[in-house]
Amino acid sequence: MNDFLIPQHVNSFHRANPVAKLLCMILLFMLTLFTHRLDFVFYQMACFLLLLLLFSGHRFWKISLIILPFLLVFIASSSTMILFGKGDTVWWKWGLIQISQESFYRGIHIGFKSVTFAMEGLLFVLTTPSVALFYALMQKAKLPPKYAYSFMASIRLLPMVWEELLIRRNALRIRGVRSLRGGMKWLGILKLYMVPLLAQGIRRAHRVAVAMETKAFDGQGERSYYYPSEYSKSDIWVILLLSAAVAAALLMSILLPPFGITDVRYR
Amino acid sequence: MGEVQLQKGSKGLKLSDLLVTVLISVVLGVVYHFWSSVYSLLSPLFFQADELVYGMWFIASTLVFLLIRKPGVALIAEVAAAHVEVLFGSGWGIQLLIYSLFQGLAAELVFAAFRYRKFSAPVAGLAGFAAAVGSLLPDIFYGYVADYEPWMFIAKYSMRAVSSVVIAGFLAYSLAKAVEKTGVTSLLRPVESKDMAALDD
Repeated sequence: MNDFLIPQHVNSFHRANPVAKLLCMILLFMLTLFTHRLDFVFYQMACFLLLLLLFSGHRFWKISLIILPFLLVFIASSSTMILFGKGDTVWWKWGLIQISQESFYRGIHIGFKSVTFAMEGLLFVLTTPSVALFYALMQKAKLPPKYAYSFMASIRLLPMVWEELLIRRNALRIRGVRSLRGGMKWLGILKLYMVPLLAQGIRRAHRVAVAMETKAFDGQGERSYYYPSEYSKSDIWVILLLSAAVAAALLMSILLPPFGITDVRYR
Repeated sequence: MGEVQLQKGSKGLKLSDLLVTVLISVVLGVVYHFWSSVYSLLSPLFFQADELVYGMWFIASTLVFLLIRKPGVALIAEVAAAHVEVLFGSGWGIQLLIYSLFQGLAAELVFAAFRYRKFSAPVAGLAGFAAAVGSLLPDIFYGYVADYEPWMFIAKYSMRAVSSVVIAGFLAYSLAKAVEKTGVTSLLRPVESKDMAALDD
């Protein structure tokens, strides 16, 4: 899709079947979502960071560049809870703001959770080309081809949408439409951009869809695929590695708990 | 006439419906890209002010439904828009997909409750409100929002509800009306008996 996202080297994570990987990721997501133990989430984050650095197949600086914004995610998701969460052991109070021990730990717990989700998602996205994902979903998860092909076609159409946006911007500029400020004028601007983009998008999508229908991309039942999607030994490796990461996180959280908080929820 | 009957009979989504749904969501994905800067501009105004524009994240489901008017598109649109975000490697990873499932499903249920026959602004507003409620469910497990101070909880979610009704409801409706004027929606909508009658005249 993009040169930037072509991995430097390929390993079991890249060779594994996307459906198997997706299932693992959903299970991991559930695990993280229902973890209320601060130490466990912290080590989950650490373990997935390690997996990401070791197995994504990308250079270190690239990964660092991508995960830098996760800091913002951490702050955005934790701040409200830290400042406005329930808690009894008050550390600091100023007007409506009240930082308590409980709310602070709960806040950073949410932050760690968000970053863990982001790492899990990134591990999947960086090791799976989206075409491979949709071919695997069609062959292994019985996703009807019309869904898979419409997603794949839309991804291909995305650059055209982007180009149209730039053309529209230049057209408006040449016609002397100034960026309007204040009041409800942004609504007008929004419409100036959205209506032609949407109309043109609908026209183009419809045209492409008619062509695809005549070539039976919406076919029912058995069909052959250009890219066969198979399970392999790599799937077992990935499952083992991910399980090992979770086991390591659990073990570390029992042996070396940095916070010693077992449940961040308010009683 | 036989062919026309056949078209009327098939209720499922065709590839063209799906492709249009997903592509509109992709366009909205581009809009979201800019919207997140509006979102972060508002944040310093006062705490949680960003909730005032939260409804934009629900606009995919209502807008696409108002344009295509077929069952199922509201859910697919919301998931497709989230999928675009995930694909871009946004920091908000896989949780977006879970949120989109809940939000899209909630909006879809509202449209289904009106048997997919009502396309008015209030119904779209109600669907936007439902999507906001849908987003509350994962929030409880993920963000422990029930453990906010009660006033904060109420302030946050009432702002979100208002913005959902206004943006995902009324703004989506006015956008859909404006797009309708261009005439492209006639490509997509199911043939109605009114149109059939027009042929006989």
